[in-house]
Amino acid sequence: MTTTFDVSQLRVRIGKESIIKGISMSFFPHTVTSIMGPSGCGKTTFIRCMNRLHELVPNIQVDGTISLFNQDIFSVNPMLIRRQVGMVFQRPNPFPTMSIFDNVVAGYRLNGLPLSKAEALRIVELSLHKAGLWQEVKDVLHRKGAFLSGGQQQRLCIARALAMDPSVLLLDEPTSALDPNSTAHIEDLIAELKESVSIIMVTHNIGQASRVSDYTAFFLGGELIEYGTTQKLFTVPDDPRTEEYLSRKFGS
Amino acid sequence: MRDDRLSQRILIDRTLKGLLVGVALIVALVLMSIIWFVASRGIGAINWTFLTSLQGSPGASNVGIVNAILGTVMVAGLTTLVVIPFGIWCGIAMAEYPHHPLIRWAMMGIDALQSIPSILFGILAYLWIVVPMGHFSSLSGSVALAFIMLPMVVRSVEESVKQVPLTLREASLALGVSPTRTIMKVVIPCGLNGIVTGALLGLGRIVGETAPLLFTAFGSPFLVASVLEPVQTMPLLIYNYATSPYPDWQQMGWGASFILLVFCFILGLTTRFLVRK
Repeated sequence: MTTTFDVSQLRVRIGKESIIKGISMSFFPHTVTSIMGPSGCGKTTFIRCMNRLHELVPNIQVDGTISLFNQDIFSVNPMLIRRQVGMVFQRPNPFPTMSIFDNVVAGYRLNGLPLSKAEALRIVELSLHKAGLWQEVKDVLHRKGAFLSGGQQQRLCIARALAMDPSVLLLDEPTSALDPNSTAHIEDLIAELKESVSIIMVTHNIGQASRVSDYTAFFLGGELIEYGTTQKLFTVPDDPRTEEYLSRKFGS
Repeated sequence: MRDDRLSQRILIDRTLKGLLVGVALIVALVLMSIIWFVASRGIGAINWTFLTSLQGSPGASNVGIVNAILGTVMVAGLTTLVVIPFGIWCGIAMAEYPHHPLIRWAMMGIDALQSIPSILFGILAYLWIVVPMGHFSSLSGSVALAFIMLPMVVRSVEESVKQVPLTLREASLALGVSPTRTIMKVVIPCGLNGIVTGALLGLGRIVGETAPLLFTAFGSPFLVASVLEPVQTMPLLIYNYATSPYPDWQQMGWGASFILLVFCFILGLTTRFLVRK
């Protein structure tokens, strides 16, 4: 089976504290993989290593290998990795100085990549369609995005990531700051998006993991406890700790 | 027992509130009286001739302060031209790389600059520029003022850049944008209000500065086109006219004070407007 990311013996320390203690796992194309676990289990740190955004943290030390399509991501410029791997964050973060239109093509504009007017329009329309936002914003494309609701802003951020045509999309608790309605909207969207992009999603919402993902990994204390198809993990988990977590004994 | 404490707290609360209002009133009163004082004495001196004529001897007619206005524009302009780009660059570097050893030294330097009395910068500029050149110049005045303006600009740029949320930087970096372009295209536009505010605050500070100009720009009754010649500025003119024994000069000193006050007010209001936006 082909893979997108292959992670091998990943260890992360921040200062003297060990955050991730030797995780190996692979991710598959055109699937949604959820990484779930209680707060502080290292899931966000893990996903941030995959586009090397962890490098913003001072005193962080990473051992082990991560490869994307069989290329070691630490051997190339992080900018090249980040153009292949999109990311959506916990809180919607559209650029406040840019219009909705410019937000969608921000990846091109900020990188100084040439983009004709027609091409930009095509990318904006396609990306907003994919993110399920086109109908709502098609008449206000040149207004700044601040008046959008939280859920719309988050979909704008998804459109911004999709505009770069990434092969993998990393979602870091994308609905944790949203209301139930917007959350449902984004969950539907995730299920649709896997046709065109592989999705790796961090969540501490067990229900969300079971609803949208094909594969689920359970992290606890910086270790990978269990990883498998969502159906198997949620019905007959191998590890008693997974079962305990699913019955909410660790809390979330 | 509980009730006693509650009424005591309410009393303390009211007293403190009253004190706060009192202090605010005192500050407002002082400010108002300064404005009234300057305006009532200065506004009479202001007319078209006053604004467009050169300085003259006491008792002369058709005299004004145009050389001081233009001199201030020249000295403050040159200072701003040098300090703004350097100060903005410095402030951004401090906000983005606070742990770099060089930046830490620079921070200490900026703090030290801020605590040095302004007249010492005048003496330094005198020793560095006036003495070697053999004469006073607006250039030496600008150098002295630059030292005063720099820390203000650096600090406020640093603060406003720090306030740009980390999540926006992350959004940009996650799109594969280089750190430098992220600063140029995301951080600076988002912090622009604060950066402009810092520049205006610094400008407001230096246009009223007198001490360092006494032995650098020195003053001149003529229009000056070169930065290498001595030049008149508003604060210097006010200082000279206010300490003179001639009533018409004193009157013109009030007029110049009023214009300087109005200019600083406009700067201050613009700053506030930008901060609110």
